[in-house]
Formats: sequence, C-alpha cells, structure tokens
Amino acid sequence: MKLELGNIIIHDIQFGNVSKVEKGIIYINKDELGALLSEDENIKSVSFEIARPGERIRILPVKDVIEPRIKVSGRGGIFPGMMAKVDTVGTGRTNVLKGAAVVTAGKIVGFQEGIIDMSGPGAEYTPFSKLNNLVVICEPVPGLAQHAHEKAVRLAGLKAAAYLGNLGKDIDADEVEIFETPSLKEGILKYPELPRVAYVQMLQTQGLLHDTYVYGVDMKQSLTTILYPTELMDGAVVSGNCVSACDKNTTYHHLNNPVVRDLYAKHGKELNFTGVIITNENVYLADKERSSDWSAKLAELLGVDGVIISQEGFGNPDTDLIMNCKKIEAKGIKTVIITDEYAGRDGASQSLADADASADAVVTGGNANMLIKLPPMEKVIGHIEAADVIAGGFDGSLKSDGSIEVELQVITGATNELGFNRLSAR
Amino acid sequence: MEKLRAVHYINQFFAQIGGEEKADHKPEAREGFVGPGMAFNAEFSGKAEIVGTVICGDSYFNENLEMATKEVLAMIKSFKPDLVIAGPAFNAGRYGMACGTVASAVKKELGIPAITGMYIENPGADSFKKEVYIIETKNSAAGMRDAVKAMVPFALKLAAGEKIGASAEEGYIPNGIRVNFFEKKRGSERAVEMLLAKLSGKPFTTEFPMPDFDRVEPNPAVKDVSKATIALVTSGGIVPKGNPDHIESSSASKYGKYDIDGIFDLTDATYETAHGGYDPVYANQDADRVLPVDILREFEKEGKIGKLHRYYYTTTGNGTAVASAKAFAEKIGKELAADGVDAVILTST
Amino acid sequence: MILLTNNPKVQMGEKIFCDKEFVEGSYRDVLIAVRDKIHKGHRLLSHPLSGSVKPNETPYKSVIISRNSAGMDLDSLKIIEDSIAAYDKFMQNSMKYGYNNQESLLADFSEIDYRLIKAALDSASCR
Repeated sequence: MKLELGNIIIHDIQFGNVSKVEKGIIYINKDELGALLSEDENIKSVSFEIARPGERIRILPVKDVIEPRIKVSGRGGIFPGMMAKVDTVGTGRTNVLKGAAVVTAGKIVGFQEGIIDMSGPGAEYTPFSKLNNLVVICEPVPGLAQHAHEKAVRLAGLKAAAYLGNLGKDIDADEVEIFETPSLKEGILKYPELPRVAYVQMLQTQGLLHDTYVYGVDMKQSLTTILYPTELMDGAVVSGNCVSACDKNTTYHHLNNPVVRDLYAKHGKELNFTGVIITNENVYLADKERSSDWSAKLAELLGVDGVIISQEGFGNPDTDLIMNCKKIEAKGIKTVIITDEYAGRDGASQSLADADASADAVVTGGNANMLIKLPPMEKVIGHIEAADVIAGGFDGSLKSDGSIEVELQVITGATNELGFNRLSAR
Repeated sequence: MEKLRAVHYINQFFAQIGGEEKADHKPEAREGFVGPGMAFNAEFSGKAEIVGTVICGDSYFNENLEMATKEVLAMIKSFKPDLVIAGPAFNAGRYGMACGTVASAVKKELGIPAITGMYIENPGADSFKKEVYIIETKNSAAGMRDAVKAMVPFALKLAAGEKIGASAEEGYIPNGIRVNFFEKKRGSERAVEMLLAKLSGKPFTTEFPMPDFDRVEPNPAVKDVSKATIALVTSGGIVPKGNPDHIESSSASKYGKYDIDGIFDLTDATYETAHGGYDPVYANQDADRVLPVDILREFEKEGKIGKLHRYYYTTTGNGTAVASAKAFAEKIGKELAADGVDAVILTST
Repeated sequence: MILLTNNPKVQMGEKIFCDKEFVEGSYRDVLIAVRDKIHKGHRLLSHPLSGSVKPNETPYKSVIISRNSAGMDLDSLKIIEDSIAAYDKFMQNSMKYGYNNQESLLADFSEIDYRLIKAALDSASCR
C-alpha cells in the first residue's frame, strides 16, 4: 500500500469572507462553518477563536486536536466510518494543511483537563503550541447527557477539520512525502536481510470519554487487528478520549503517529516495517488476556523479529502494556515499550502500576506528576468558568502574580506515550 | 566570588601511603591536596580549592565503621568546608563503602554538600546511591581524568545550590528519583534506535529500569535423591582454617573451591568463616552450622542421598556486588554441571 | 459475578443485573474490600484502576470479581496490590490537585465510574 502526503505549509489562520487557502494562509468564513456545525441538533451554538504560536493565549479544557487533511486521489475519504464511507483508506494522494489544527475546547464533564499554552513555559511541553489553531467551542443544548455531548463535540471537530482540509484539495503542495508498505511476501523478497518490525499500538478503550474509534467501530468491541501504517495517516483511527490530557492520543497524534514515521524513516534501510497491530485497553480482565494473546499471535503470524509497543493512559493500561510485552517477548520477539510515568511530585514513587522483568527496553515520556508554574495569560479560550475554577481550585497554588502551579498532567500531550516529544525522565 | 573551601577524602592507596598492607592506616588530616587532589584543584580553576585532605585506610574504616566515621567527620569539619569530595573509588569495594559512608555522613550530619564517584558495580554504589550523588566512573584509576572532569562541575553546581537535572544529563548513578528533562531526539526515534540495538545484540540502556526482581524459576524436583550427587555452595564464608586464598571479609572479588574428600566433620581446628558481616563465634566453633558437611555425610552413609560432591564452593556474600556474585555463579554452575552434580544446597548466613 | 462499589449510581443502576455489595466508604475502602475477597479466593474480573481519572480526583470506584472462590489467584492479588500502591501514591497529594475537589463534580465522577463498569459488564455479557 502506497500513500503520497502533499504538505501545504500553513503560516497563519484568519477569518475572512470566503473560506480558502492562499499563500500559506487559511481564511475561514465563520458563519459558513458555524452553520455547518450547528446542523447537529445537540449543539446549541458554536464559536471560533484563533490561537497562533507565541500568542499569550491559554486554551482549556481541550478535548481533541485534529489536523486538516483531504483525500485528493485513492480510495475513500479522511476519517472513514466517521466522516466518509468505510472504504479502505491509505492509498493514493492526501493533502495536509501542515502547521494548522482544529482544537475542540469546552467542558464536557466537570473535571476534564487539557491546557494548551501558546507561549511561556507551558508551551514547551505541548506540541500544539507550535501550530496555528482554529479553536472550536461548542455549547450543547441544555440537559444533553455526557455521552451525547462527547459525541457531538467529537463529530464537530472532525467536521471542522474536514471542512478546512477540503480547502487544500486543489492547492499545490510545498513538499511531498511518500510512504509505502509492501505485502508480506513482497517485503520478505525485497528485504531478505533486514529485521522485520511491527508496531503494536494500544488504543484507549475503557468506556465513556475513554474510547477510540477505528473506521467508526468502537475499538473496545473489536479484537486486536492489523492496519497498514498509511491507513492511520488517512484518519482510520479517531480519538474519543477526553481524560488524562498529558498522555491521551489526540486525533492529531494518530494522523501523525511518530512511531510510524520513525519506522518508515528506517524502512528498507535498517529494518522492514511490516505493519501496525492495533489492540485495546479494556477494563474487563478477560478482554485484556484475549487482546494481548492476539497481539502476540499476530506478531508471530507476521513473522517479525521485533516490535515497538505504545501505550495510552494511566493505571489500567499499564496492565495491558505489560501483558503485551511479556507475551510477545515469550514468542522470542524483541520488544521496546513506550510509556510515561506517575512517579509523584518528588519523583520518588513507583512509576507504573505494573511491571515485569521482560520489559527491559523502555522509553519514557516523562513524569506527569512534575509540578510546573504557568504564568497568567492575556486571553483564555474555551471555558472561562473552567479557567476560574482551575485557578481558584488549586489549593494554595494560585500565586500572587496570577500564575498557577499545576502538575504536568494537565497539559495536552505533555508526556505522550507514542514518543511524540523529546521529554523524558531518568 | 570567594573561592569555595573543599575537603577531599581519600584512602591510603591514593595518598601513596601503601596498598593492602597499609589498609589499617588510621585517619589522618593534611593541609591542602594530596594525590588526586591536584587534578581536582586544577579542574576547579579558581572556583574552589582543596584546603584539606582526610586520609583513612580502607580496612581501618570498614572494620571500625562507627568510630572511623566519627574521626573522619571531625577532621573534615575542622577545615570548615563548603564542599566535600570523597574518592572517586572506581571499583574498589571497601573504598567505595568508605566514600559512600563519609559523603552521606557529611551531608546528613554536617549539612555540607558532598559527592563521591564510583564504578556502577562498586557495592558502595548500590548501598549509597540513594543517600548521596555518586558520579559514575570507569572501573579503574585509569578513568581518573574523566572522573574529575565529571565530578568537579557537578560538585560546584551542588555547592551553589543550583537545580540538579536528571541522572542521564548530570552523570550521577540513578538514585531512584525520577527527574524530567528534554532529550535530543523524540521518544519514538529513541524507541526505534533502542529496538535496532536490541535486535542486533548491541548494548542499550532502558530509560526506566523495572523494579528489581531477579527471580529464578525453581528447577523441577530431583527425582531420586538417594541416587543424586549433592554439592554444597555457600555465601557464608566457610574456609579452611587460615583462609588460604584470602577471600575478603566483605565485597568479595573471588570464591574458593575446597576438597572435602574424606572429611566427615568441620571442626574449630580445621575450618572457620572469612565473613565479616555476622558474629563469627558460632560458625568458628562449628563450621557445619553454615556448611552442613556432617549431616550430609550421615545421609550419604544412610543412603538418603547418593553422595556428597567432592568439592564445596564458598565466598562471602557481605557487600559483594550482584554482578560479581552472578559471575561466580556462572563459573561454579558450569563446573558443577560438568562434574555431574545433580543438585546443590545453597547456604547463606 | 459480584460487583463491589461505593457509587450510589452503580448500586441503584437498574441496568446492572448482578449481585452487588455496597461498600460504605472511600475508593480505597473498595480496593481493600476487593483485596479481602481475593484473599478468600475470588478472582478479579475488572481492573481496579479503570479509567484515567486519577484516584485523588474521583471518590468513586466499582470493581467486579468472580462469584466462585477457589485457591487464591496470584495474578489477581498482584493487580490489586499494585492498584492499592498506586492509589496511595496519588493520595499523597489528596484532592488538592486540579479543580476536582468540588461537590458539583460528584455527579460527573459518578457517571464516569458507572459507564466504565458498565463497559466491563457488557464485556462480561451481564447486561
């Protein structure tokens, strides 16, 4: 399977009369996009804000971040099973508005976290401070249940991203990247000397506000399965995960999965990247046993020498991570796992809720309990009430200069377990 | 800024007093630097100066731990230091224990910043890494130059009260406190590189060592003990009287293999313990209490076991590095297997 | 299957048709009750650290265990012990973290816990 990504480099987003992409700037007709999103009867009103790198803006609480993309050729459309038909994606040509993102913000449940600071010390910890963000704030109709609210905001974000992506359909790309995964047989013939490597991606699937969708299917109801890596780039996997801001994988992360990228970078040279095994992180322990059995079985079936396993979330998924690692190692397949840590504010506590000696190669995204001081910002986007509460509710953490002291875990993407960031710990 | 006053702690060897024969050298304080202190002074390049050096023999220190610590501490205090450097001890076990003890006592009791340096497998590293910062060094004094280069900037940083980064950045032996920092490459790229290293059998370092569980799955039960050859192996230090191979009382660097052909009982005239980590009186009275040769001979006679293996193996477990113990076990295990031993009884203290 | 919970919404839940034991107490009290059952030979069926909501944020917890008790299941024991340790780690900074120490949020925490255990029960086909 072969996919061409045409990157259209975006320097700015502005509101305008006509929605279009011109000379690296996205112009958005607010009314038109607002009307489109308001078609959902569960959404009472929609508003938009723009947040650019370096601006003194804080966005919270962030639900999802989505990169605008459009299929130019090849089967299907972006976000199959969600926004497009369930055609298999991952072939042909996809255009990307690189440097831009749709950020959905707003309160779904009371305790929802997720801060993106566009400047200052907090900005260093989130990759989304480097993007031109269109922030979409949806107000639900009164009395809407949490699960319906989550769904409405999830779909609004995807719709807005698809709308923006569509503006890039006929624009010449600034750069083109090509990704290709041969069939198993072709791969073996083509790279007989290279170690065969697969990527085992664990998806958050515990229930309400902790879900992930694959071609529209709720992944907690699926068995472990296999994707071509390029399917991820066309939005085969969509986030419905709203909790644990620092180590949840946003849809942006899925589209730009760094493990996929970095395995492709060495594909055909130092290794043969055979494919992606996606598995879940259910609450029911028998599901964990079954899913990790299947991860190991599929890795064996692919005939790989090694795998990288990435995690999503805290606590319960630690058990899935260790099960996957142990069972795959037991097949004689080498593993490296990517996780993050909750080692306490002083860094002295046990980082993971599970452990095994077979997990001898670990990459960490850092300690999420680390305290960080965030200075006051000029503007807060998202939910003003939440901003007030976050400042006031931190017992004794509101400083006289208006800054707040928070744990790193409230920053969106800070300790990402796909290895998206440079942050680590020892 | 005024020059910081540094005090250096070293052993009899680095003070050029002598080797093992002078290891009972009592604590002594000298003005200025001695031996490796010169290199430290040069590296301080005016920001600090070694105003005094405290010297103590490794045997004296380890065998008179409480008193020696007190004496050394008083001498260090008399120089009114802003900073104390112990060692580096490289892979010298007893020197490492002394450096760790001194540095942590200075930190705890005098409230003065103190560091030391050691090879990762020095038993002192395991014992004191959570107490004080221990800069990782090579395993011999050939690594002195690198050690000084790493220890000096870190010591100055610590003395200045600056924020200490992660172990990987600063070069200290991981102390269990997790510290965040930005790597040069993103996590996914590090993961791919780690996997390629692991696949090709090259060394790699995990970013998060799993908590220690060096568990060994038990072997299946011996089918018929009455036909089995049983060997005795101990970490309790039982040696022929006089300790002919000079197995160290702690931080053992070797093990012994002794013939017990025709020996039916270990007596106070023939055997003793070399172990320095427990009260030796009862082991010296009757070494069978640690290495049960007498009972096994009875069993042999009664036909309860096939026979007792002709040789027993012994070392002292006291402060011995896990890596050393593993290396001993690999050699011992191979010999036992080659000699057709069916089962081993391991005794400790 | 037995459900142990301190969440009134789960206890009252009309769509949850399995035996329930209400634990009058904290999140930790539920974990301890589960541990005691595991000591008696019940098997853990759902993960005690379900959900990414941290133990120092939500006061609610629901866990399902097997009805039958046989010999003590070591895997279950390990998971519950690790979970209690993780709970205690987070409670070193109890409820001071985030904007979560508010009465008004209890309904949301209760709903999340309810939905997560419902997902586990759906897996167990105990609808």
